[in-house]
Amino acid sequence: MPDQVMPPDENIALQVRNLDFFYGDFKGLNNVNLDVANKKVTAFIGPSGCGKSTLLRTFNRMYDLYPGQRAEGQIIFHGKNLLDKSQDVNLVRAKIGMVFQKPTPFPMTIYENIAFGVRLYERMSKSAMDDRVEWALNKAALWGEVKDKLQQNGLSLSGGQQQRLCIARAVAVKPDIVLLDEPTSALDPISTAKIEELINELKSEYTIAIVTHNMQQAARVSDFTAFMYLGELIEFNETGTIFMQPVKKQTEDYITGRFG
Amino acid sequence: MQDKFFHHTTQLFAFVVLAALVGILVSLTYEAWPSIKAFGPSFLWTNIWSVPDDKYGALAAIYGTVVTSVLALLIAVPISFGIALFLTETCPVWLRRPLGTAIELLAGIPSIVYGIWGLFVFAPLFADHIQPPLQALLGDVPVIGGWFSGPPIGVGILTASIVLSLMVIPFIASVMRDVFETVPHVLKESAYGLGCTTWEVARSVVLPYTRVGVIGGIMLGLGRALGETMAVTFVIGNANRINGSLFAPGTSIASTLANEFGEADPGLHIASLFELGLVLFIITFVVLAISRWLISRSMGSEGL
Repeated sequence: MPDQVMPPDENIALQVRNLDFFYGDFKGLNNVNLDVANKKVTAFIGPSGCGKSTLLRTFNRMYDLYPGQRAEGQIIFHGKNLLDKSQDVNLVRAKIGMVFQKPTPFPMTIYENIAFGVRLYERMSKSAMDDRVEWALNKAALWGEVKDKLQQNGLSLSGGQQQRLCIARAVAVKPDIVLLDEPTSALDPISTAKIEELINELKSEYTIAIVTHNMQQAARVSDFTAFMYLGELIEFNETGTIFMQPVKKQTEDYITGRFG
Repeated sequence: MQDKFFHHTTQLFAFVVLAALVGILVSLTYEAWPSIKAFGPSFLWTNIWSVPDDKYGALAAIYGTVVTSVLALLIAVPISFGIALFLTETCPVWLRRPLGTAIELLAGIPSIVYGIWGLFVFAPLFADHIQPPLQALLGDVPVIGGWFSGPPIGVGILTASIVLSLMVIPFIASVMRDVFETVPHVLKESAYGLGCTTWEVARSVVLPYTRVGVIGGIMLGLGRALGETMAVTFVIGNANRINGSLFAPGTSIASTLANEFGEADPGLHIASLFELGLVLFIITFVVLAISRWLISRSMGSEGL
């Protein structure tokens, strides 16, 4: 498909057009079209296997790591199709950060967990790096808890703290978009509440896309919600509308708990 | 009743192995006793091996063993690291199994075959095409120049090291591959998610995560290299002396044993050879024990 030029729209961070996704012969996404709004939180909900995580993983081309997985269509980011082979995928991933279901601190100190990603693309003095680490940990509401043990291994933190460390790590490289793939599904309710609070604060500066199993969570944190089912985008609208006046029957059945 | 019988029988078989281990250690010590009594601990650092004078010291053999093994590791470790990274990170799926199997089969080639190949194929090629340019390039460099001095005759310490490195690559590479596979996908994805290249992921995430297992794999290779006999005997040159040049012939503990046992006189000569064997037994036993311990620790706790 020719790379047609899209008019740049400041209110839109990602434009997904005619997106298909394949796991080998199995079609995981079917003709998905949607716009991810800039500096808003967009939630993706739906039953297991509906393709919501798959969709998220196309946004930073994480599927590239696995042979046999491929995407067709367009995802326009800063005026360019990021699915193009010519796109520098590492650069894309530096601009579109990701946080995973389970906390995944690197096997290094808390300080290094943050500094590592920053160092990949920026050169800075020790003191500037110290500032950046503090800034990122503050953004993730973790600074107070770890400021006296920056040299300890990241794995020594609790699960909730580890997840906030991962968010700090993603934020530290100053991405445009942060992708959250069920970021609280492995956490206890208190840690979950902290992460949700954090999402609310981060959206003033970052575009956030979150995949969640938890409909209440989607309702609490997001501005827009996409309901997906069997690889298709069923309904996409403002979160209030999706939850109060869904247009499609499938959406209504899902949010009222009749299936999924 | 039957179960009890079965239990005791299998237990007996298992203990036979332990008994053999202890038996070997005891008999080695017993046979080496005259030499241990005659030379004391200085046996380990005396550089003399003279059958006519009936004076023996292990230094040249220990030197040859250690230098060839360490050099072999210096060559084999980076190559094995590359092989393991390729197999786990970038290799196309259809190639992964055949290539992995091929590397493991390399470990099954009898060492005598490596020895024959090393002596009749590799050594002449090495003497004609590699040693002269190496000498021309590095021979005049201060300090390390001496390592490349002497006539390029093919056989020698360096040749033995290169042949040894080929022999230990399969062991090191397959352990590295196995421990690299224990790194959780999601951890690697996190690093890729920050914009890391494959090399940056390997260096900063995979390697630190598997550090203990990787060291264990290297030690396993070291254990193999230290004890390797036939291939080394063929290509090391078998000169019982220490020469600063890597091109010069030398000897190793195992190759000294292989060469001299057949015609050794009873008395101190034989006893000294037994003591050499004892030294090798202890060195390789310790190295292999450490490597096993590190590998199992790494597999168990996933590199914490």
